This record gives sequence, C-alpha cells and structure tokens, in this order.
Amino acid sequence: MTTTLDVEHIDSTRIASWRLLLSNPVTVVSTVVLTLVLIVAVFAETIAPYGINSIDVPGALQAPSSAHWFGTDDLGRDVFSRVLVATTVSLKVAVVSVAIAFVAGVTAGVIAGFMRGWFDTIIMRVVDVMFSFPVILLALAIIAILGPGVGTTMVAIGIVYTPIFARVARASALSISVEPFVQVSRTMGVPAPYILRKHVLPNITAPVIVQTSLSLAFAILSEASLSFLGLGVQPPDPSWGRMLFDAQAFLGQAWWLSVFPGAAIFVTVLAFNLVGDGLRDVLDPKQRSIMEARAKK
Amino acid sequence: MKTTTKIIAVTTAAVLTLAGCSSGESVDLGDGTSDATSAPASSDTLVAAIGGEPDQLDPHITSAYFSFEVLENVYDTLVEPDDSLEMQPALAESWDISDDQLTWTFTLRQGVTFHDGSPLTADDVAYSYNRIINDALTTSWRFAAVESVTAVDNSTVEIKVSQPTPNLLALIGGYKGMAIVEQSNVESGDITTNPIGTGPYSVAEYVSGDHITLTANPDYWGGAPSVDTVEFRFISDGNTAMTALKNGEIDWTDSIPVQQVESLTGDDSINLTVAPSTDYWYLAMNENRAPWNDVRVRQAVAYAIDRDAILQATTYGTGVLNQLAIPEQSGWYTEYHKYSYDPAKAQQLFDDAGFTGATLDFLATSDYPETVTTGQILADELKPYGIDVQIRTLDFATWLDEEGSGNFDMFMLSWLGNLDPDDFYYAQHRTGGGFNFQGYSNPEVDALLDAGRTETDVAARKELYAQAATMIADDVSYLYLYNPAVIQAWSPNLTGVSARADGAIRFRDAVQG
Amino acid sequence: MGAVLKHPTVAFLSRRLLHSAVVLLGVLVVVFSLLQLVPGDPIRIALGTRYTEASYEALKSASGLDRPLLVQFFSYLGNSVTGDLGVSFRSGQPVTELLMNRLPATLSLALVGIIIGLVIALVVGIWAALHEGTVSDAVVRIASQFGVSIPDFWMGLLLITVFSATFHLLPSSGYVALTDDPWQWLRHIILPASAVGLVAGAILTRYVRSAVLEVVSMSYVRTAKSKGLSRRVVTFRHIVRNALIPVLTIAGIQFATILGGVIVVEVVFAWPGLGNLVYNAVATRDYPLIQGTVLLIAVMFLAVNLLVDMLYAVVDPRIRLS
Repeated sequence: MTTTLDVEHIDSTRIASWRLLLSNPVTVVSTVVLTLVLIVAVFAETIAPYGINSIDVPGALQAPSSAHWFGTDDLGRDVFSRVLVATTVSLKVAVVSVAIAFVAGVTAGVIAGFMRGWFDTIIMRVVDVMFSFPVILLALAIIAILGPGVGTTMVAIGIVYTPIFARVARASALSISVEPFVQVSRTMGVPAPYILRKHVLPNITAPVIVQTSLSLAFAILSEASLSFLGLGVQPPDPSWGRMLFDAQAFLGQAWWLSVFPGAAIFVTVLAFNLVGDGLRDVLDPKQRSIMEARAKK
Repeated sequence: MKTTTKIIAVTTAAVLTLAGCSSGESVDLGDGTSDATSAPASSDTLVAAIGGEPDQLDPHITSAYFSFEVLENVYDTLVEPDDSLEMQPALAESWDISDDQLTWTFTLRQGVTFHDGSPLTADDVAYSYNRIINDALTTSWRFAAVESVTAVDNSTVEIKVSQPTPNLLALIGGYKGMAIVEQSNVESGDITTNPIGTGPYSVAEYVSGDHITLTANPDYWGGAPSVDTVEFRFISDGNTAMTALKNGEIDWTDSIPVQQVESLTGDDSINLTVAPSTDYWYLAMNENRAPWNDVRVRQAVAYAIDRDAILQATTYGTGVLNQLAIPEQSGWYTEYHKYSYDPAKAQQLFDDAGFTGATLDFLATSDYPETVTTGQILADELKPYGIDVQIRTLDFATWLDEEGSGNFDMFMLSWLGNLDPDDFYYAQHRTGGGFNFQGYSNPEVDALLDAGRTETDVAARKELYAQAATMIADDVSYLYLYNPAVIQAWSPNLTGVSARADGAIRFRDAVQG
Repeated sequence: MGAVLKHPTVAFLSRRLLHSAVVLLGVLVVVFSLLQLVPGDPIRIALGTRYTEASYEALKSASGLDRPLLVQFFSYLGNSVTGDLGVSFRSGQPVTELLMNRLPATLSLALVGIIIGLVIALVVGIWAALHEGTVSDAVVRIASQFGVSIPDFWMGLLLITVFSATFHLLPSSGYVALTDDPWQWLRHIILPASAVGLVAGAILTRYVRSAVLEVVSMSYVRTAKSKGLSRRVVTFRHIVRNALIPVLTIAGIQFATILGGVIVVEVVFAWPGLGNLVYNAVATRDYPLIQGTVLLIAVMFLAVNLLVDMLYAVVDPRIRLS
C-alpha cells in the first residue's frame, strides 16, 4: 500500500462522488439555492434596499409593493431588507455553533473510538446522558445559566449538538481502528498521531461532512426557536425567529410579517437538509451501491 | 402585544415569604380544588378574560396587575376610590383627624365578616398594616410617615403619623395592595392560592394555568352581588379573547390587541371602552453619569425625539400625549407644553453642551413590549446626533435590579394606579427619593415636594405641585411621554361595569341579562 | 433463578435497565449542576429587587444551598427520587405540584400530535412505498423533506393566520381539559396538535415508507403473493402488520421528542403545559422550576425510550443480538 496509490484512490473516489452528486437534480437545485443563501449572507448589507433600522411610523404595516417587496413592519421598517440581513446573523450563529460542536464532538469521538477502554466508556455515557435531554430544552437550560444573547446562543447550540458529532466520529473511528492494517501499524509502534492522521481521519470525513450539513440545518432551526423565545438575537438586530415573534401581534392584519421570515428559515433549512441528504447518498457506501445500481439502470 | 405582563410599577422591594411551604410540602388550594368542576356556563356566570395568570394571590406580596384584577373583587381596604377617584368609606365607616393632624382614628363598619365567617375586627386592620411595615414589604413606603397602627377597641383603629399627611386616605386606599387580610390565612400560607378577604366575591377554585373562579359573598357589606359566579380565564392572545367575546364564550376582557382598537370601535357586537387612565409612561436618564448629568443634553434629547411616533407605535393612538405625569382629567392636572419635535433646537443644545456623541445603554424589558419598541425608535432618532443606542432587553425582575443599582444610561417605564400628586412626584424626584433612580436633585423641587406633603389647603397644594412638576419637566428628570388608555370590552348584555381610570376591575355591581 | 437470568431476553432487559439507571444518574448530576453553574449567587439573582436578608435566608435554607456540595447532591438525589423537587423561587409553591398541574396539557398535546402524525405517515408512507419509483413516490419523498424543514412554530403561526385570524374557525390559544368539555377541548387542541403532528408526520412518513419497502422485499411476502392471495390481503395482512413494529418504535421515540420539543409551539398557542412553564421559569430565573421541568422531561424521554426498546426486544428477539 504505497502513498501514490492511496492518493490516486482517493482522487478517483472524489471525482466519482462529484459526478454522482451532480447526477441528482434535487441535490443540484438545493446546492444552487444554498449558494444563493450564502451569497446573500455575505453581501446582505449591500443588497438591502433600505436601512434595517430606518423607522417610519406613518409608513407602518404596508402590504408588499414594488417599493417594499416584503411590506413594512409595525415600525415602518422594510421587511425585505431585514430578512436579508437576518440571513447573515442566522448563518453566523449556525456556523459558529456547529464549529463548536464539530471540534468538541469529533475530538472526543475520535479519541474514544481509537483508544477505547475507560475513556470510551465515559465519553459514551456522557453522550447518552446528553441525548436524554431534548435539544431545545437543554439549550434553554444553558441560556438560563449564561443569560440570553447571541454569544450564549452559539455556545448553547454548540453544546447541544456536540454528542451527535461524538457519536458519529466514534463509530467511524472504531470501525477503522479494528481493521487489520491499523492494528498492525499500532503493534509495529507507529505513533498514534500518525495513524490518526493517515488512516482514521480520512475515513471519518464522509459521515462527519454529512452530519455537518444536517447539523447546520438543525442549528438554524434552533437559533430561530431561541430567538423566537426572545433568548437569542436581541433587537434591534434582525433575526428570523425574532421577526416571527413580533409578527404574532399582527397575524390577521399583516400576513407578510409572518410569511417571509418563516419562508426564509424554511428555504435555508431545506437547502441544508437536501444537500446533506445528497452528500449522504454519495458518501455513504451502503446508499452508494444502490445509487450506482440505479444510475446503471 | 401578545404576552404583556402588566406589573404595578409602584412595587419594587418585596420580601418573598415561604410561609408554610417548605420543600415539597403541598399547599392546600382550598375547598374548591378537591371537587374541581367548572361552574356551568349559565346567565349567572360572568366569564372575564384577563391577559395572564397572577403570580400569586397574596395582595401584600404580589406586584402583578393580573393578581389585582382578581383581588379587587376579593378584598377590601379601609377606604376606596369611587369612579371619580375620590376616597369613600369602605371597611371604615368614618374617620376623625386630630387637631394637630397627627392622629387618624378610623371607625370600622359593623357586622363585616371574612369569607370564612370570622368577624372583621380592628386587630385585623392593625395586623395587616403592621405586616406591611414590619416585614418591609413592597408597599411599606406608603407608611413612611406612619409611626404606629393600633387597635383601640374592636372597631376602632388609630394611626399616628409623624407629620401632617393630607394624602393618607389615598395611601391606604389607593388599591388592593393595601387590603385587610386575615392573620390565620397568612400564617397558614394559604393566602398565596386561596386568599380569604371581606370583599364581594370569595375564591372558589384556582386552576393554575387556566382559570380562577369566584363566587358571590352573600354577606357582603355592600349587599350581595347580582352575578353569582365570576370566572377569570387567562387568555394572553388578544385575537382569541376578542373572538371569544364576539362568540359569547366570554363576557368581559381587557386582553385586547391595541392595534385593532380602531377597527373594533364600530363593532356593535361588543361594548369597547377606551378610557383615559392615570398611568403614565416616561423615559429617565441617569444623572449620575456623563453626559446625561448635563441638563442641556437631556433637554436636547427631549427635543430630538418624536413623541407622536412613539405614541402611535406603542398605543396606536389610544394614548394621550402629556409632558407631565398627571392626566388631563385629574383635578391635579397642570398645563405644560414646553417640548416639541425640533431637531435644530436639539442640535443647538447638544452643541452648547459640547456633546459630540456617546453610546446609550437603554434598559428595556420583554414584559413591557412598549419599551423594546420605543428603544428601537430612539436608536433610529438619536443616531444623527452621534448617540449609539444599545438596547438591553431583560426580564422585569432583572430589569428592576439593574434600575435599582443605577446600571443604565436610560430606561423607559410606566407608573400605574397613582392618585395623589405626592404619589406622582415625591418618591421619584425628591433628592434621595425611594424611586429616584435617575439621581435627580434640585433643592427648590425638594422644598416644594416637602411642602406639598403637609399642606392641607387644596388650592395651595395644587399650586405647589404645579410648580414642582414644571421644574421637574424643565430639568428633564423624567422625560414624560404619554398617558395610556384603559381599554376594556364587554358583551352588550353586561351592565354595571365601567372602565375605571385607575384600572380597578370591579364586578360587584355587574348585572347580566 | 440463574437459568432465568441467563435467558437472553431477561439478560437483555436487565442490561437495558442497568444502562438506563446509569444514564438517569448522569441526568440527575447534570440537572443538579444547573443550579451550581449559575455564575454568582442564584438566590441573590432570583430575588433581585425583592432581596432582603430575611427573604434571602428563608430561601437559602428552604433550598438547602447553605449545606456542603456533596450533602446537597445526595439530598437532591433522595428528594428527587421521592418526588420532592423543591419549591419555586418565584411563587414558593412546590415544584412537583406545579409540574403535575401542567403535565396533562403537554401530554394531551403530544398524544394528539403523534396520532395526527401517525395517521398521515401510515396513509402517505404505505401508499408511497407501494408506488415505489413512480412520480408520486418522488413527490411524497420531497414533501416529507419539506415537512422536516418547516419550523413547527412557524407552522403554528400559519395555522393561526388561516384558521383563527382570517376565518375565525378555531381558537388560537388556550386549553380546555377533556374532562371539562370534550368539544371545546377538541377545538382548542386541533391547531397546536396539527402544528406538531404535521412535522412529526413528515419524519414518520420516511420511516413508514422504508419499513414497508423492506417488508415487501422479504421472502414471505413473495410467497404470499405467489400463493395467489389478493393484493389487498397481502398489503394489509402481511406487509403493513410487519412494518408496523419498526414504525411504532420510531413513533415512540418521536412521541418522546415531541414531549421535549413542544416548548415553542406551546408558547405560540399559549398552551398551559410544561413548555410554557419552563419558558416562564427561564424568564424569571426560577432555577428549581427549570431543574424540575428539565428532569421530568428527561425522565419521560428515558422512560419512553426504555419502554420502546423493551417492547421491541420482546416482540422481535433479533435485536438482542446487536
């Protein structure tokens, strides 16, 4: 097993993966949508036609028009601009919190799966315990301790999604570390960090990438829920969840206040979910054989 | 305004008593809970929807408006405000004031009993007031001038004060937070869920999260109420409450979306009342901090903000702009129109003060959505002057803590249920006053407020307060915004109820049919 | 006796029970730590401006926070097991009593929600599986993905907008106990339960579909078909019945998830359940009440999962092997 062979193998897998990924129209569409969402998130301030906090009380609660595509809210602010800028906020929270969960979870999971023994037992029991708390409830309890705000929301969501990464990473690390060639390397005295980098990490990438995409979807939902409860993003900063909270007082009067921010959450979460599913179909070997079989048909 | 929790703002320092319920011990919810069945909806039942659930039913401890909506019908005070907010006899039939103005002697009404049948005596009155004083409860400031409360005999109570106190009746009768309670009810701890009063209704059933049922007190000293049963339901969503009212599922509500008042006004299927109230909303800037300690900066802010926009966004035009605290319908009202929306003048004042910009820590609370709304308007309006408004949204308990510790640049809050001008100005603006969190100090105002406390001539007293209020507003100790409206709606079948300016909800004279 | 313990089912069940006990202990440690982790003095914070020395001492001794940490933990452990979860910082009422007052509302919402979800999932999922590979199957799969991505509270707001605010057909908030007035109970529960149930249905549909597909591919179904049994008989007697076992398992887990996840939906509909209770407890920093709710929901979550696992082990002994 030479290095060149390994690289070639991985490269050819990658090319095949891309081809498979692009063969699924749903995945292609959702990837395009996701890319658009990301572009909006980066350039929102520039794209937004109005200032997000430009108040105009006499112009409050206007229905959607050519001047205000998504209408105006109870303070006369442009809903379209606020929905755009909220994209930045939501994605920032989602990315940071998933990054926290990713680093903490993957580290714990890989070490547990690779070392096994008492460390593994403890980590897995901790994961079991954390899984017995429903996500939003645990996040709520963490915020009750740390106090509301964007920062604590990121930490809370990060902690809540750590165990799933730990479990996914551990399972993959465990399955690879019992492979004969890894066992042999270990008995031959190859340093653990080398084995981890060379054999374990490449093998856990696929499931972890899939989990990351799905977790981003859940993180956006969680942030929206927490902001809806008034514990996440604080006014006057726009956030989809908070906008929905404010919309509650106007459900019969101004449908646009609840429809557009909710649709923004829905589209973003859906895109992450579909891309995640598409990645799983391609990267998960079991699914992959089915797909390849279908592609041949 | 979906989850507005109205809290009486006059209450800020209460003791949490855990009397009678140590860990895990169950609290007796009273007779009604064991055979808990909802009263059948008959013409004898009045269903009132209020916007939220009381935190507890001990009138001396709670500070929630929702509690007092219920307790108004359960308890009595020695004297109580009538429709024009003048004090009238209630549990006290009459009273005498000594020539030196320092001793008040109250004679109790004969034959009054608590809901459990035990007679009301002077000891109960002394116990109630001394409980507030000795336990340093929220409302103990109302007894600041009181030296002693004693039961002279079964039906006579004597209150000694350290200085003439012309507004003593307003202090002890202003609202049901000064109710006469039963000692055994307090000591058993039952008062939090099953309070026993002397009022027109007694508590029959309390289902947490859902409703409180009151039944008429046949022995009520004012005559048994006409409606047998009053059920208070908790409906925070105004749309639901309005639909329920139109469908006849409820008979009365004050859970009304303020933004719909305009469209509901012409609706014949309900009686909607928008009445002026004695409440007021204001902004206060921290005068212990630069640059807000400079009167020119505060005046500049007063000229920089558009009160019409704030009034419209928070009350949808139901409130009334007022640059002082006391509303127009009160006998103590003073004309005052110094400020207007004038950006040029604001800039001039900022320049005079050498002000170039600052961040402003604005305390808002989710319990009063008005404060969050106003904070966002201020952030937009003050930005051109270099003021960066940072809104801190807290729950009300934390909010009060931050206010009390002086940890703010500006906050917005309201005062509810004040009657006497002393209530409106003294504790808020006297140097070192109990609620003078903004740190205002003006010796002239102090002298006027002190004089007002002991002046027994009404005309002279009114003049003192007019002068004091004018100075307070000139100095922007408070930046007064508006008097909100009392908004209530009831079924056309219901008579004998009215939307009172003090927000008291009285069903004792209600008639259905 | 020993023989009984060695019986594989019994051995599995006892292992599973032991595992749950260990996790439950961990849950108790976490819930206990919540109060300890509050920066500063939780009682001082909870009292806020209501602080006086007397109230502080009263609350401190009532909550036992003046004792050493280990003593506190073991007394917390002992009290929790006997159902004593302390007193609310805000109202002074026992936490257990507050929880029990709110439990029926949450349970009824979760139950009706899961029933709605199951009905949708069974109808749509079976239909999609039997039409595997067709356009309609693809539509169902995409629709279920849509359902999974909709925030349940947004669904709630949309339902209110249509059915309450616009057409005034159903109330948008409030709760009536089933025992008080069944008709009103139904009217009040439809919207919140639909918000919960539609999302749960989307998740369950995927499982129903794949469970049915798996059964279809099994030999006995093919045998049944070859024996010439009518299509309807095959579908309902064999496929659905056998697919039901894994589906019920997932439904159980989904039910537990709903129990813990209805917080936001309860807030939208002002539903007086555990979710609203904990939401208000967080706002008022009523830590014993937060602890109590978190513990109760986690225990229910564990219990449902345990029950599902055990039933499954009895019904389908194969899983013991894994």
